[in-house]
Formats: sequence, C-alpha cells, structure tokens
Amino acid sequence: MKNSLKVERAKKDMTQQDLAERIQVSRQTVNSIEAGKYVPSTVLALKIAKVFDVGVEEIFQLEDGD
Amino acid sequence: MKTFSLLHVPMLDRRWRKLAFLFFPVSVLLVIAMAILRTGIDPDQAAEIIYLGWACGLTLLNLSKEKVEDEMIKTFRLQAFHTGFFWLMCGLVAVLAVNYYRYGSIHAEAVSAGMVLFLLNLYVWAAFEYQKWRSNEQNPS
Repeated sequence: MKNSLKVERAKKDMTQQDLAERIQVSRQTVNSIEAGKYVPSTVLALKIAKVFDVGVEEIFQLEDGD
Repeated sequence: MKTFSLLHVPMLDRRWRKLAFLFFPVSVLLVIAMAILRTGIDPDQAAEIIYLGWACGLTLLNLSKEKVEDEMIKTFRLQAFHTGFFWLMCGLVAVLAVNYYRYGSIHAEAVSAGMVLFLLNLYVWAAFEYQKWRSNEQNPS
C-alpha cells in the first residue's frame, strides 16, 4: 500500500505532530504510516482523509502484490 | 465501534511500570539474602524465585499502558502476544525434546511454572519493544 500522506501534509503545511493530534494518535504512528511501515485501519484512514478533505483513495492506493 | 465487553482487558496505569522495574533487582537480592542467611535454599528454588519475580515484573510491563494508546500500539501488542506464544511453544517443545533425548522419557520437572511464565512474558515484551523500535526508526519528514 502506498500513500501520499506526506504530500497532503505539505500542501496544508502541517507537521506530523499536528496531524497526530488531529486524528488522536502518536506522532510515531503518523511517521510509520508515511513510511509505509504501518497500514492504518479503515476508521483511521477515513479520519486522515477527513482532515485533508479528500477521498481515502486519493491518499491510499493499492500496489501490485497487495 | 462496540467491542464485546468480556474480551476487553483494561490496561494498567503507567505508574505500575515503576513497581515492575522493582521486581527485577528485588527477586535477585532476595535469593542472595536467603543464601547469606543460610536458609537451605537449593539452586532450583533460587532459580524459581528469580523466574517468578521477573515474570511478575514483565507481566506488569506487558499489561501497562503506553504513553499514547493508539491503534498501532494495539496492533503491535496483538502481534507481540502472538509471536511470544509461538516462540514459547517452540522453546517448550525443544526443552522437552532435549530432555527426552538425554533421559529417554519426558520429565515434567524440566519445565517449571515460573520458567514458563517468565519466558512467555519475556518473548511478548521483546516482540513488542522490537516493533516499537522498528516503527521509531526515523524516515525523513
């Protein structure tokens, strides 16, 4: 699973900590999602999409092999 | 989202971690004190006391909250218990197999309750800390 979280965050000039506070997780969790080390649940993915006011599929995309 | 209440195990407050760290030196000091006072403690009993003390400490660490209890931590915890259980089973089978090879029969004494509790908690704790360490490795942000 690839994601454009870092790009979306940059568009909104938002730090990892800012996003973490908005979606009520730790900064490490945001960091892990951005790095592709952790795939968020549907609920968390929807919360992230809501923060950036875009659809989930605009941030998270399946890759070959997923 | 609702969860089945019987399956929900409340986590201990972080203050319990301080008590957990006390168990590690205290159980060793207790065994040393018993040896100095010549209470007639044998090496197997000494090992069992240390195993149980360390198992208590690790149990408290495994059941106490992290600073932020989010879904990634819950996923790590679930994976850690799974991994810990798997390695415990592998270890126990190996111990029993080695004993069977050496003595030609299964000795129940080869595996003590304290040892099992200690190893299970140790493997769970190690698997959990390893996942946290991996997730904390920085990526350019």
